Order: sequence, then C-alpha cells, then structure tokens
Amino acid sequence: MTSLGLLTVSSAAVCTRSLYILGCHWWWAEIVSQERRSPHPCILQVKLQALLSACHCCCQCAAREVAAQADTPLRLLLESPGTHGVGRPLYAPLSGDGAAAVWRFCPPDSALRRTVLDRWFPRRSSASPGRPLRQFASISKRAAATTTQMDDIDAMFSDLLGEMDLLTQSLGQETVPPASLSSTNKETNYSMSYTDLNDSLYELEDTDLDALMADLVADLNATELKLAADMQGLKQPSPPPPDLPPPPQGLSPRPTSSPVSPASPAISTSSNVSTPTSSTTSPLPPPPPQTAKPTREEIEAQMKADKIKLALEKLKEAKVKKLVVKVLMNDGSAKTLMVDERQSVREVLDNLFEKTHCDCNVDWSLCETNPELQLERTFEDHENLVEPLLAWTRDSENKVLFQERGEKYEVFKNPQNFYLWKKDKKSLKDMKDQDKELLIQENFCGTSIIVPDLEGVMHLKDDGKKSWKPKLFQLRASGMYYVPKGKTKSSRDLVCFVQFDNVNVYYGKDFKGKYKAPTDCCFFLKHPQIQKESQYIKYLCCDDENSMNLWVTGIRIAKYGKSLYENYKTAERKAAVGSAWTNCSTPSSSNPSTPSPTIRAKSPSQANGHVPTPPPGPVTKDFGNVPPPPPPPPPPPMANFLPPPPPEPVRPSPPPLARKSSSKPALPQRHLPTNFPPPPPAMGGLPPPPLGPPMDDASEAPPDFLPPPPRSTGFGSLPPPPMNSLPPPPPPMSMDLPPPPPDPGCLPPPPPMFTAAGAPPPPPPPPPPAAPRAPVRPSGSVRKVPPAPPKRTTPSQGGAGGGGDFMSELMLAMNKKR
Amino acid sequence: MSAWDLLVTVEDLGSDAPPVTLSVASDLHVGGVILKLVEKTQIKRDWSDHALWWEQKQRWLLRTAWTLEKYGIHADARLVFMPQHKPLRLGLPNGNTLRLRACFSSSVFQTVMGVCRMLNIRHPEEHSFLRPVEEKKKKKDKDSAEEIYDLTEVPLSSASRPCLYNGMPAHFADSPQMEAIYKMLSVTQPPPAPEVITKQFRPASVVDKAHINGRWLDSSRCLMQQGIQENDRVWLRFKYFASYDIDPKYDVVRLTQLYEQARWAILLEDIDCTEEEMMLFGALQYHISKVSESEPQALSSSAAMDDLESALQSLEVKMEGESSSVSEMLENMTAPELNDYLKIFRPKRLTLKGYKQYWFKFQDTSISYFKSKEESIGEPIQQINLKGCEVAPDVNVTAQKFLIRLLIPAPEGMNEVYLRCENEQQYAQWMAGCRLASKGKSLADSSFQSEIQSIRSFLAMQKTSSGSHGNANANDESINPHSLVSPRYHKKYKAKQLTPRILDAYQNVAQLSLTDAVMRFLQIWQALPDFGLSYVVVRFKGSRKDEVLGIAPNRLIRIDLAVGDVVKTWRYNNMKQWNVNWDIRQVAIEFEGNINIAFACVTADCKIVHEFIGGYIFMSTRSRSKSDTLNEELFHKLTGGHEAL
Repeated sequence: MTSLGLLTVSSAAVCTRSLYILGCHWWWAEIVSQERRSPHPCILQVKLQALLSACHCCCQCAAREVAAQADTPLRLLLESPGTHGVGRPLYAPLSGDGAAAVWRFCPPDSALRRTVLDRWFPRRSSASPGRPLRQFASISKRAAATTTQMDDIDAMFSDLLGEMDLLTQSLGQETVPPASLSSTNKETNYSMSYTDLNDSLYELEDTDLDALMADLVADLNATELKLAADMQGLKQPSPPPPDLPPPPQGLSPRPTSSPVSPASPAISTSSNVSTPTSSTTSPLPPPPPQTAKPTREEIEAQMKADKIKLALEKLKEAKVKKLVVKVLMNDGSAKTLMVDERQSVREVLDNLFEKTHCDCNVDWSLCETNPELQLERTFEDHENLVEPLLAWTRDSENKVLFQERGEKYEVFKNPQNFYLWKKDKKSLKDMKDQDKELLIQENFCGTSIIVPDLEGVMHLKDDGKKSWKPKLFQLRASGMYYVPKGKTKSSRDLVCFVQFDNVNVYYGKDFKGKYKAPTDCCFFLKHPQIQKESQYIKYLCCDDENSMNLWVTGIRIAKYGKSLYENYKTAERKAAVGSAWTNCSTPSSSNPSTPSPTIRAKSPSQANGHVPTPPPGPVTKDFGNVPPPPPPPPPPPMANFLPPPPPEPVRPSPPPLARKSSSKPALPQRHLPTNFPPPPPAMGGLPPPPLGPPMDDASEAPPDFLPPPPRSTGFGSLPPPPMNSLPPPPPPMSMDLPPPPPDPGCLPPPPPMFTAAGAPPPPPPPPPPAAPRAPVRPSGSVRKVPPAPPKRTTPSQGGAGGGGDFMSELMLAMNKKR
Repeated sequence: MSAWDLLVTVEDLGSDAPPVTLSVASDLHVGGVILKLVEKTQIKRDWSDHALWWEQKQRWLLRTAWTLEKYGIHADARLVFMPQHKPLRLGLPNGNTLRLRACFSSSVFQTVMGVCRMLNIRHPEEHSFLRPVEEKKKKKDKDSAEEIYDLTEVPLSSASRPCLYNGMPAHFADSPQMEAIYKMLSVTQPPPAPEVITKQFRPASVVDKAHINGRWLDSSRCLMQQGIQENDRVWLRFKYFASYDIDPKYDVVRLTQLYEQARWAILLEDIDCTEEEMMLFGALQYHISKVSESEPQALSSSAAMDDLESALQSLEVKMEGESSSVSEMLENMTAPELNDYLKIFRPKRLTLKGYKQYWFKFQDTSISYFKSKEESIGEPIQQINLKGCEVAPDVNVTAQKFLIRLLIPAPEGMNEVYLRCENEQQYAQWMAGCRLASKGKSLADSSFQSEIQSIRSFLAMQKTSSGSHGNANANDESINPHSLVSPRYHKKYKAKQLTPRILDAYQNVAQLSLTDAVMRFLQIWQALPDFGLSYVVVRFKGSRKDEVLGIAPNRLIRIDLAVGDVVKTWRYNNMKQWNVNWDIRQVAIEFEGNINIAFACVTADCKIVHEFIGGYIFMSTRSRSKSDTLNEELFHKLTGGHEAL
C-alpha cells in the first residue's frame, strides 16, 4: 500500500498532454510583445492564445521555433492566463485575432513580425482551424482501420508516450523561474509540476493508468468542445488585419453552421447540461443568427463581448487544479481518480460508488489519515477534496480511505444520543422515530442550528507541553470554552478555548502510547495545514469513546452547521437510489470485498469496463427523450430513482467497448462477463424497439428508433451493474437514424459536428424528466459534455470520432498486450 | 315590571359631570339602555364604538341583546359609558413609544392582533403586552422629554392583512409624519449612548428575570379588566421565542423589532453570553447601524420588490451592468497588488533582532519581500502565502502603532509574523489585503475597497474614543464601542481596548447585507444556550425551597436557584397533560412514563405559567399550510384556563 501519488497538475497540463497526443500542436502561438523594459533585451512574452489557454506548451513549442528563426537567444516567459502585462490591452488577442496583436505590438521592421507572419499565419490561414480535426480524424481513422493490428497500435502508443516525455522534458528546461521576472512585469509564472506528473504517472500501476487515460479522454473531449467554440469565435475576426487574408471561412470545420436552425436547439440543450460547472456564462459560441448578420455594429460589439467573456471563462477554467488521487478501499485495493479542484467530496463519493458497486449507504465516507500525527478524519461531503490534500507535505504518508464510518451521520440517525445525552441510556434506546425526527427538526431546521449542550471534564494537552491537564469544557455554537479555576460556570466567566473557523477536528489514534494520554479516546483540533507535530495542535482526551464521539460530533455541528444536515439529506437520497440499484442488480454487482488477488487479476478488464462509463447523468436525461427499450427486468420505480447525479459526465459517452464490439463483436463477451452479468440475450442481438413502457416522450416516434446493432452490444458492456437493467446508452444516438458505417453511432462526435449541415433535424431533446435528480451540482471535470447527437451523415466525418474511441483502442491494445 | 333608576356615567361628558340617570326595567336589553342614554345626552356624534362598562364586576356589557336581568344588573350597579378603543402608550422593543388606539374591550390576544395589524407585524400570536418596569423617577422632568409617535388617528381596519402601498401599510403612506413613524418601526435604531444602557434596569439574577415574567398581561382578558387605563403604558414584546416563518420580504417591522428586542436583551444581560459572543454581537450591531445608515430603505425596498416587474427591472439592470463591464472585467484581470516598504518581525525565538525594513509586495494571496525596491525584480527573500492564516490587529492610534499580526499555517505548525506599517493609510490597505487573503480572496476581490473603508472607520472610532471625552465629535459617524456591549464590559475594558476586539469579530460579518446581518444577529442569539428561556420562581410539591422553572419553546427545565445548575429537563412532546388547580394555584403536569410534577408559582401567577406552556404548545401546532388563518380558538383553549371553558 503505497501512499497516493500526489501531484499538482493544472488542467492546462492535462489538456496540453491530450492535445499533444492527438497531434494538435499545430496551433500557433502569438508573440505578443517584445519586452523592452526588461533587463534581458530578448525576453519574449508569449501570450497564450487566450481562447486556447490550455494549449500552453504548444505555444512554447511555437515560440521555440520562432526563436530559432529570429536567431537570437530567446528566453520564454509564459504568462499565466489571468494576468497581463502592465496596461497592455488584451483586446485584440482576445477577440480572436492574434495577428492584429502581433501587428500592433511589434515594430514594423522587426524580424519578429516577419517571422511570425511568415511562419505562422500563412499556415493558419491556409490550414484553418479545421486542420486539427482533420489530422485528428485521420489518426483515429487509422486507428479504426488497424484495430486488429495490435502492433501498430502499440507502436503508436509508445510513440505518443515518447512524445509526452519529450514534451515534459522540454518544458522543464524551458520554464523560466519567476525570479527572472522584471519588476514591471505583472505576470506570474505558471508553475506546473510536470516532473511530478511524469513521476507519478510512472509510479501508477497499469490499471491506474487506464483509469487515468479515461479521464484524459474526458478532458480531451472538453478541450475539443472548447476548440470548436474557439473556432467559431475565430471565424469572425473583427476587424480583419488588413494585410492578412481573412481566414477562409469555407475551411472551417462547420462551414454551414450558422444558418442551420435545427442545430441551435441542440446547442442550447447541450449548453444547459454542460454549464453547471462553468460559473456564469455559457461557454458556447454566440447563436447563429448573430453570425448571420455580421454587418451590424451592435451585434459585432455584442459578439466581441461574448467572446471576451468566453475567453475569460476559459482562462478561469485553465487554472483549475487537478489531482490524481489514490483511494484505498477496505479490502486493501486501491482506486485511482482524477479529482478536480471544484469537486466536492460528495461528488467523489458518487464517483466511487459507481466504480465499486457498493451499497451506497450514508456511512460511506472518504477519510484522511496521517500516520505521523496518528490522525483520522472523515471529510465532510460538502468539502472540496483537493484543498485539504494540497496541504499534505510532499513526502507524507497520508492516505485517503474509502470506508463506512458509522459516526459520520450518527447524529441524524440517533439525535437523542447527542441532544439528550444526559438522559438515561435506556430511555434513549427505544426512542420513537417520530421523536427523533422532532429533535432533528428542532435543532437543524430552525432559523439557527442548535449545537448539543455539551459540558464535561476532558484532559487537555496543548502549547507543546507534555502533560495532560483536566479542564471543564463547554461547547457553544461560537466555540469551545472552559471554566477557569475558581470561577462559576456562567457564560460570562467562560474562557474561550478555541473557535472553529480555522481548525478542523480529528480523531487521534493510540495516543495513550504516543503521548501518554489518560485514555485512548482522544481527539484534537488543528489548522488543516499543520501536518506535523506542533505546539499549535490542541489535544483532548475524553474518558470514554462515547463522550469523544459526542464532542467530535458536537464540534462538527458547531463548525459546519446546516451543511452537515444537508449533506446527510443528500447522502440519504443517494442511498435510496443506491439500494434500489443494488437490489435489482445483486446477482451481478461485483463485490467490493472480493479478495484482492482476484481484483488484481481482474483489474485490467475492470478498468476498461469502468472507466469509460457513460455518465449516468446524460443517460438519465436521455431517458426523457426516448422510450427506453425493454430493460431486462425493468422495475418501473427504478426509472424514477435513476441515476445519481454524475460526478463526471464529461466522459465520452460511448463506451469504448461498444466501439470495440462493433469491429470485433466477440471481444466484449470475452471480457465483460468477468464483471458484469452477461447482457441478457434479448439485449445482445435484438435491436430493441421501444418495447418498454414509453416513459416521457411520446413525441419520439417509435419507428424512428432503430438502434444499430453495435449499440446493443455496447449496452451490454455498460459497466455499472445497474446499467444492465436500464435502457441503453445515450438515446441521442438512437435518433441517428441511418445506421452509419460500423461505428460512428456510438462515438462522441467532436463538437464541431453539433451543427453539421446535413443533420436530420432532431427534435430538441426535451428537458430531463423530473424524477431522476438532474445533475445539479457542479461536477468536477473541466466541462460536461453531454452525449452529442451525432448529426453528421458523411462517413468521413464519422470516422473522426472523439478521442474516446481512439483511446479505447489504445487501452484495448494495452490490455491485450498484457 | 317596575321601572328603576340606573346610573350611568358618560365619559365623554367629562369626569366631573354627574352620572346620567335612566329609568329602566329589568327586561330592557343593553341596546335599549344605550339608546336611551344617547337620547338623553343629546349629543350628536358617532357612538358606535361606545359600550357599557360595569365597574364593580369589571366587565363589559357587550351583548346588546342581553337584558339587564340576564346580566344581573340592579340599581346599585355603576356603569360607565365609554369608547371601546382608547389611546394607549405602547413601548416598542426598540425603546420608542407609540401612542395608538387599542381595543380595551376585547381580549388582550385580540388587542395585540389589532396592534400588530396596524404596525404590519405578522404572527401577532408571538407577541404580548408586558407591564413596564417602573422606572426610578429621580428626575421627573425626564419623562416629558420623551418623544412619542402618535398613531391615534389611524382608522381601525378589520382586514386581516392591510393593503400595502410602497411596501408599507397604506395608512403609513398618508403623510410624511406617518412615513417617519414607519421608518422608526422598520429601520434599526442607532446604538444607544452608553449612559442609556447603564441607566436601564438590568436583571441581576435569575430571580430578577423571573420577576419580569410576572408582568405579562393575561391574554384572555381585556385591558380594562387588568387595570390598564387610557393612556397607560404597556410594552409590546415578543413573548414566545418560536419565531415562525420569518421572511425578510414581508417581515420588515417584525424582523427589526425582533432584532431590537434581542439587542437589548444582550446589552442588558437579560441573556448571558461569553465575551467572544459579545464582541461578535457588538460587531454586528456596528455593521447593522452602518449599513442601515447608508441604505435606510434596504429593508423596506425589498418588500416593495414584491411585484414581478420591479424584480425584472432590477434583473435588467444587472444584465446591463454585466455586459457593459467587459472592459472592467479585463481590468480586473490585471491583478492589483500592493508594493511598499514595511517592517517585519518574527517573534520566533529569543532574538534581539527588532523590526527590519524590506520592500514588500502583496500579490494575489501572498506577500513576498525583497531587500529593496530595486531588487524586487529578482527572487524574493521569502514568499508567504496568507491563505488560511489568522490575522490580528495590534493598533494604537495615539502611539502610531500599526501592527498586523499574522499567524501563518505551515505543515510544521503556525509561524508568527508581525508586519509594521507606517501610517493609517498603509495599514488599512495591507490589513485589508491580509484579511482577504486569509479567506483565500485576492486583492482583486470586490470587497477590498469596502474592507479598507471599514478598517479606517474603526481606526477613526479608536481615535475619537481615545480622545478627551468623545462627546464633541461623537456625532460624526463614529460610534462609541461602549454602545455596543453590555455595561459589564464598560468596566472591564476601555473603549480603545474594545475597538480592536470588535474589529476582529467584525471581519467575518463585514460583507453581510443589512438583512443578512440582522438575521445573523438573530441566529447567534438563538443559538445561545439560554435562548428562549422564560424564568419563573416556583416551589415544587414536596420541596421546601424555591426553585426556578425555565420555560423554553420545546421543554421545561428545573434549575437549582442557588447553584444555577439544570436539575431536570422535560420535553413538551413527552407531556401527556397539564392541569391547573385554580383554587390552590398549583400547576400539575404529567409526562410519559408516569412522571408527575406539580408546583406552585411564586413570582408569577399560575395563569402566566399556564399560558406559557399552552402558548408554546400552540406555537408548535402552527403549520405552514394553514399559516394564513390563526386558530384563535385553539389558542384560547390552550391558554385560557377555566375562563375559557
């Protein structure tokens, strides 16, 4: 059991990687200015092309090339998105036209300007933003064509990995430490621990790598969507630099996009789904009507504004931190997750529920342990996971555990033990549920939260002293107090011991041995950043475990207040869903407590099966759209419960296995049964027409629903057991009538396809049904990409399926090799 | 039937006028008596509000169809003919006095309802009238100086909810004077002068508090029956601390008055709190008074936002603001920073090193320092991230000491760093930066400027309070910190010692809106352990000493009078029944599990205790669905005692 590889990676790094892997380093960087005031005459500032701020290193590569051309020793300053040079207008670059920026900031005779223009802009104007997609498309087509030739894939993969290494190395060399910044510069350097990433990537086991890959793929998709948005922004350079031919619009990936009206509903729906993460504005390009009339100044201004907003949004997003977290299970196995800075513990738990098929009861928690301090703490569901983890030291042996912790919500299960603890135990034991409910109502549902009225003698050790001194403590909503010697217990005499704003409460393990505590029932309070022994930690020792739990819970109530109750409510709902799921899929659910060897053996396929899980969220949503095909045992109530809010709906919707199966139908059968119940025969072969109870959308004409065979197999391969009992994957696909060449139906189309011209006008997907809880909470990943209705018709475009496919190919290849 | 003479005093004829003699028969009904009386006085006016009051029996003859015989009135009865609605001086929780027409003939419960309706206070059942504490009248001329807000001209309406105009009841919109009264009702009062607080009656013990509870008027009897005369003073107070369904949008007056009552309860130590809590209450009071000064209409305007249109309008404005601020957004992206020479000191070990000057740079959430300004291009000597750190001020304006104490968390523990600023301006900026950074906000945060402002105003506060007497310039927006805390702390701390402590607590609330701040104040008040307890001194059956019964919204507690410890707690939901033996004035309660208690009340009438218990049980029966209509009958059933039957 090694500790989790903790690394700080900004999403930019991740996106960069994926982009690079996909050969997208074609992107041009802008040389925005030559820093004249800086002591080093030739420091170039490479401004991130704002709309593609994620593509950090690409800029670097580009700049390197520029430097080579300019024949001067160039040093690179990377500006982090979010800050800008002093008083330098960013308008031009942000508005989508980098050329203008270059033009403005470089002296007319500068070699640089020439270089930039010669070298980069022709390329851009001729190749147009369509290029990456093409290139990308060809890669994946190649991949598709060579699925059977594993060697090729393997080679490709190692190739790519090699490139990644090169890239990271070069980045390591090139990044200039912040020290070199001139005082007038306002930029902060982007610090990404590439080496960390590298190391820990290698440290990870194969299974982990697989899981990670899936996450990357998800990111990739998000990036692509971004790209699409960017391109639309770029399509209308305002005002076009006089010297340059305006980027030919015909070459843009979605040439006819604007006029196509049916496209817009699709866009808006997807934006509905995808925006919960992004804080304010919709990241999507301005609606078509506006592009149609570019002449009007107002509209232009509006567009500009939109773009700028969009850009700002991206900049924000690019700053999101991500961690690769290894979570230890009860059985000693571990799961590796990519956790986004914005993800709450609840979302991570949901994620883990999906991966482990546990019973989802409210006790499941994420805990942190610190062997040095011998501490243990259950993360609260509303906390962000990344933040406390960032406080860990580099060399820490801390761990994150996924466990059932009864004490987490005990106060809501048996409030009387906390609020009426003075009463005799017997009368508390057989308390009526009604009375319990009343207690909760009184204490948690009023205008203010009432903390349990705790008072008692505990032994205290603080200020770095070695002795334990008894003190009479009192808990109040405002903090913990003690009664000073010789004073009464009246409020006015109390001395404040600690207020909870800046401290967390932790359980201490085996303090009797470590600190010679009177008993082993100890807890302590410390600032979350403190990771080692310190005089600032306040240790408390209770007489018995019961009073320790009372105090710790009481402090949590005082500290977190209402959120605690809300967390419980959410967890309870979750549990209800979970139990419904487990009930109907008991035979199939893989037991989390399977002996580890099996797990190990299984893990590759398991990873494969799990990772690309189509996000339940979108799936739910889709149920509204399509009459579900007959679920093997479709218990009607189930539909209501359906999927928990997906923590990471970003993932490419198509299960890679589905793709696999399309080319090698035998494969899934071989792989899957290890984990999942074999897909019911009916499902396997039958194109399931809407036999099931048409759920919501009667407007969806049943005859339209002709799922291509691959989908049904794909369905069988859907990882979470509940899925098996559920209707097939993203129905938008089912809308795709003409069963396209082998695979495309299941692929996540790259975003540009959203508005592809030839799309059969699909009815705008109705809003998600009310019953399943829509994914309300902002979920972690960079972007939520709803399974996009593939509207393309041409096979060539179909080949350009999302990276998901490609990645799954790779994964498959790797598995095979093993 | 033979006729006999009935003497009726007509109040409107003056107190000296002799009673009017009517010749009546016993079968004459009360309406007939009034008719005869009016004819005899020969005064033409609206008599509709008048009724007969039977002085000896202390009852109104309101049933005009009843005959004199049925009422049992004989020739010796002294009747008074007078209006049912009379002016009453009403002390509000905020300390002001209103003069208004209240009903003297219906039960206090209904009178309170009428008053609350007039004042636009929802849920009148939580209120009642309290006989005022007699003020020690050392200087009798003091009383006349008191400002009285006159509401006697307001017509009485019977509509259950007054129609609103501009967010306030229509009768308040009539004239500027009326609007001023509404403003007094709906806007929090400025902090009182410290002398005012010290002069007020403060309960010194639980027994004192218990005595106050003996002053509640009986809800089921009318004012006349309880000896309240025209123009007498009563206090309107929240009696039941079960504030139900508070909505800042509709409860402007209610919320304000609840806040005022809570504030005075804190200031007068009616409810105990710790020093830290007191500082927070002080900070909130300071903030509330500041904000309500600057946006006096905030509370009432939110009520005016009722209609959709205005809401939409404000939305529009918001949208416009957003789109036009694109350039601002860009500006914001250029992260602001602070650069200056400051002095630093690390009180880590036993060092003799004093403060050392460096060039400091505050950027994002961290501080870095350099040897000099010139070297700030290079690598800083150290960079300190302030996220999650503790910031404490150490300021003495007169001594020109502006110190920021930082306690910065690190894996090994907390590091102490002191930053010394040269002047107020510098201090305010850097302090504000540190405050924000400790919460993870950068200087670009919108609250930066307001943070600077609040720090400066606190500095100003310290300046004036440390000045000679502070009275001269007390009016220019500075507040004496002693106005914000209870007299106990006047003795314990000097004003300038108090200021930093209040400022400290203020940091966490400075960003709250007026309504939020008021709500926060109430929440902290309600979270106090002793909140909602009304005390009565009782003697339990079988016990020889007096004890204290605390009546809370959900439970009864028995408190040892000598030690102050809670001896026992009984919850209402375990209560099976409670009875009052009106003859021996004893309350008997039976709880589940065969627990029976009985006690006699010492400091209050047992009717008051009975009403408290019944009242709280009534409060708990209110449910959201039928919140519009008050189940008055049930209330009387639960609180009325034998008179209700």
